[in-house]
Amino acid sequence: MIVFKTFLKVVNKCKIPIILYTVILVFFSGFNTVTNDNSTSFVATKPDILIINQDEEEGITKNLIGYIEKNSNIKTIENEKEKIEDALFYRDVNYIIYIPKNFRKDYLEFKNPTIEIKSTGDYQASLAELLLERYLKVANSYHTIIEDEDALLEKIDDTLEVETKVEITSKLDTSALDKATMYYNFTNYCILAGSIYVICLVLSTLKEEKIRKRTIVSSMSHKKHNRYLLYSNGLFALVLWLFYVVLSFLVVGDIMFSMHGLFYILNSFLFMVCALTIAFLIGNFLIDKNAINGLVNVIALGSSFLCGAFVPPEYLPDTVLKIAHALPSYWFINTNQTIKEIEVFNVDSIRPIIINFSILLLFSIIFILITNWISYRKRKIG
Amino acid sequence: MFFHNFKYTFKVLFKNKMLIFWTFAFPIILGTFFNMAFSDIENSEKLDIIPIAIVSNESFESNPFLKETFRYLSDEDSETQLFSTKYTNEEEAKSLLEEGDISGYLLVEDTSKVVVSTNGINETIFKSVVDEVNQNSQLIGAIAKENIEKELKNNPSINPEAIYKNAIELVQKEKANIKNISSSNLSYTMIEFYTLIAMACLYGGILGTVAINQSLANMSSTGKRVSVSPTKKRNIIFSSVLAGYLTQLIGLVLLFLYTIFVLKVDYGTHFPEIVVLSLLGSLAGLSLGIVVACLIKSNEDLKVGIMISVTMLGCFLSGMMGITMKYIVDKNIPIVNKINPVNMITDGFYSLYYYDTFDRFYGNIIGLFLFSTLCISISIWSIRRQKYDSI
Amino acid sequence: MKKVIEVKNLTKEYKKLKAVDDLSFDVVGGEILGLLGPNGSGKSTTINCLLSLLNYQSGSIKIFGKEATPDAYDIKRQIGVVFQDVAVFEELTVYDNINYFCGLYIKDKETRKKYIEEAIELVGLEEFKKFYPKELSGGLLRRLNIACGIAHKPKLIFLDEPTVAVDPQSRNNILDGIKKLRDNGATIVYTTHYMEEVEILCDRVIILDAGKVIASGTIDELKSLAKIEEKVSVEVLDLDEEYIEKVRKLKNVELVSYNKPILLVTYKKGKNNLVELMEHLKKEKISYNKIFSERPTLNDVFLELTGKGLRD
Repeated sequence: MIVFKTFLKVVNKCKIPIILYTVILVFFSGFNTVTNDNSTSFVATKPDILIINQDEEEGITKNLIGYIEKNSNIKTIENEKEKIEDALFYRDVNYIIYIPKNFRKDYLEFKNPTIEIKSTGDYQASLAELLLERYLKVANSYHTIIEDEDALLEKIDDTLEVETKVEITSKLDTSALDKATMYYNFTNYCILAGSIYVICLVLSTLKEEKIRKRTIVSSMSHKKHNRYLLYSNGLFALVLWLFYVVLSFLVVGDIMFSMHGLFYILNSFLFMVCALTIAFLIGNFLIDKNAINGLVNVIALGSSFLCGAFVPPEYLPDTVLKIAHALPSYWFINTNQTIKEIEVFNVDSIRPIIINFSILLLFSIIFILITNWISYRKRKIG
Repeated sequence: MFFHNFKYTFKVLFKNKMLIFWTFAFPIILGTFFNMAFSDIENSEKLDIIPIAIVSNESFESNPFLKETFRYLSDEDSETQLFSTKYTNEEEAKSLLEEGDISGYLLVEDTSKVVVSTNGINETIFKSVVDEVNQNSQLIGAIAKENIEKELKNNPSINPEAIYKNAIELVQKEKANIKNISSSNLSYTMIEFYTLIAMACLYGGILGTVAINQSLANMSSTGKRVSVSPTKKRNIIFSSVLAGYLTQLIGLVLLFLYTIFVLKVDYGTHFPEIVVLSLLGSLAGLSLGIVVACLIKSNEDLKVGIMISVTMLGCFLSGMMGITMKYIVDKNIPIVNKINPVNMITDGFYSLYYYDTFDRFYGNIIGLFLFSTLCISISIWSIRRQKYDSI
Repeated sequence: MKKVIEVKNLTKEYKKLKAVDDLSFDVVGGEILGLLGPNGSGKSTTINCLLSLLNYQSGSIKIFGKEATPDAYDIKRQIGVVFQDVAVFEELTVYDNINYFCGLYIKDKETRKKYIEEAIELVGLEEFKKFYPKELSGGLLRRLNIACGIAHKPKLIFLDEPTVAVDPQSRNNILDGIKKLRDNGATIVYTTHYMEEVEILCDRVIILDAGKVIASGTIDELKSLAKIEEKVSVEVLDLDEEYIEKVRKLKNVELVSYNKPILLVTYKKGKNNLVELMEHLKKEKISYNKIFSERPTLNDVFLELTGKGLRD
């Protein structure tokens, strides 16, 4: 009990940095899941297009715009050069179409007016280009034989209306699952940073030479003392984990009440346990209190970047992912990615998840063993 | 005295491990992480070859347009390869789709049907290609029909096959007159590295904080000792700050060398402007560090903590943790980023990289200059007195 | 003798507290002046006012006959200060620390080098030149702190509790060093709350309490302020009230108390008090183990003047 009380006292003493840290973490996780929606959610099948029409919106010009509008998300951006350029750079739009002045007149007079475009060059832009090219090709083809604008537009519409039937076999709510996966991937950073920071701070305070001498000479056994410390840290970690789970219900929503949600939560719990053992290990290594801040950032940011907590793992280079296999975060994030893909939960589909869970547990056990070994060896000062 | 104090402040700053970590090592480490995480992301966003299957039944075999198109687009030797196609029966196509080996399959019966498992981008492109083939065959039919009708008026003995062939040629050779005028500098991951430079500039401010802290009598015991010596306060402060600035610039040069030669970051071609921006950016960081040191009466750890938190928040708002953030702030609450020194530096690099004109760049330069002047003025005002009410 | 410091009616108030209250005193050249007082009596505040670090409400301070201001660099050049907190750079070695602070006073490199060596020798840190402050023990760190303050051979030295939390050996070393500085011609102002140090070291003492001078003078002058002259302690195993009454009636006796097994007899003045008591004991056939006589300490003086002890 006395160990636990001391723990709380130390936590209380450094509550300002802890609160500051948590607020920043919440801020990051909250905002990032909201704002990133656009750039990492790949379910959007319609490219974001900006049309800057310098012609009057009539006849073929109107028809072209209408066709693009039907097949894409038209963005409205203030017609200011800088705002438009920014929108393209930050992928707010993937494709900008500049319809020149007198486009309609020139087109009908066979002057073959040039349409200028700006493109981000990614797959959404390719899709946009496909749309524009197709319209122009169809229009050009008809235009060789039809001169009357109304007849031409009618023919164009006829052709472009031809559409292929699409059958979707999966019934997963992919966008909600994407969001949940992204949220939990991001907690990789929060959980690691939060637990390592606080626990190292507590441990390094308790382990300051004078206090450490006292605990070594005290009647409480070395193992018991360590065990109590582990309990106290565990309780803190549990509170931190619960906080992020509750937050996930608020951020992600209904999907958390499904089997998918349950597995996300279970996975994050196992990772929390692993993070706790990592924190405990580092806390035992660490001597200099000033190093905590740097260490937390390097470890938490490092494993988050390497394992795909910020950038979806499918976008990481293969070599990076191979290195990442050595880090617990990889298995945590890998499980999240696997959960996302599962349609029906049965023995077969959750087998990879169970394997990942075991690997996380194995990591935890290894960290605990190393910690015990080190602290056993360090019992004698000097 | 000036050089003496400069030399020793420099020595003290360089031997402070925590300082050197935050100003020298941390940006380099973070840059390495960025490089690992982002090096592939833009390539991944370009079109990959899409695995699909086609049920090769009679209807498909008898549709030359579809057959020819998919043969052409699946040609492994061609640069335009879009698909890798398996020809199979419906059963197998279904199981391939379930296993996730293909994005979808094409089933041609009376009409053609595309079967996919989700509605992602690959699926959309697959459908789009089938659409195009079908539209083209409709188009060719319509044009041929039109031409046949036209010809019949003049000449009853026509060759419909020739007309049909002409129509195919016509449709195939039609080109859209599109001109791409986008800038070639569109790599948005560069922003991450620009925020990194900006972060290093601001973390450099911590050097200023520490340098000032140890020269002021009301902030540290060494400051007391310096204050009772027969040295002008102006000299001490100025030489300490200059030592901080120099240390900061050394760190920045190292970071530049690392990002340019190891991480291959593209800073554009305007070298003198980049130097001016870096010097001013560092100055802004330094002034922030000085103002924090002068205004907050507390121990050094808290001041450094404040500098780190403020910098991190600034980095977040200017897109370090997701560049969309910068765009959202720029678009909706521009004032926040107009006064955020991290963003001024980031935006300065961005405008040099992306824009042809210098207007925006000069805006950022002026912003940084005003920011530094303001911070330094406040600092001078707050430390101008030489005696304190309490120490 | 020349007055080095003249303080007249100095008053310094913090928000609620009057730290220095209408304080006036002088320091004469070549002496070691002790500023003695309990914690919070205004010693450090006084020093900081003298050094032009603190604003004060009223009064005047003259050092070497000139008004002390932050810009009075010719005065500052001749002053050395050793602060209560250890004021050194963690990142610099012992030698570099001394060199840095000395360099703020002495421009010429050769002179400085000589001075630094002398300072290091004075505080006995010859073997630790290359060490970093972190690697020094508390006592050695204090010595470094002193070396940093006095390396430039100042004519006036302020030492603000330089021996707080220092082991006895280091303390003796430090006190010897301070005496040497005085012997080399420096004037020293020494604040402390250890009266033993003052008694060993100081030529003249000013006793401060609550920002006011409550007494000043040489040690002997101060001791004469105390009503008592001598204290004799006797270790006696068994005594009855009757005998204690007899002792009370002896010549010059001021107070008698018996706190088994110590009999404490305090005398007002007079000579041969110890001998008389011994004879008296012999006469009454009382056997005793130990007997010894003490002169009054500054603590007794302080107790007499304020009604409380020097140390809290």
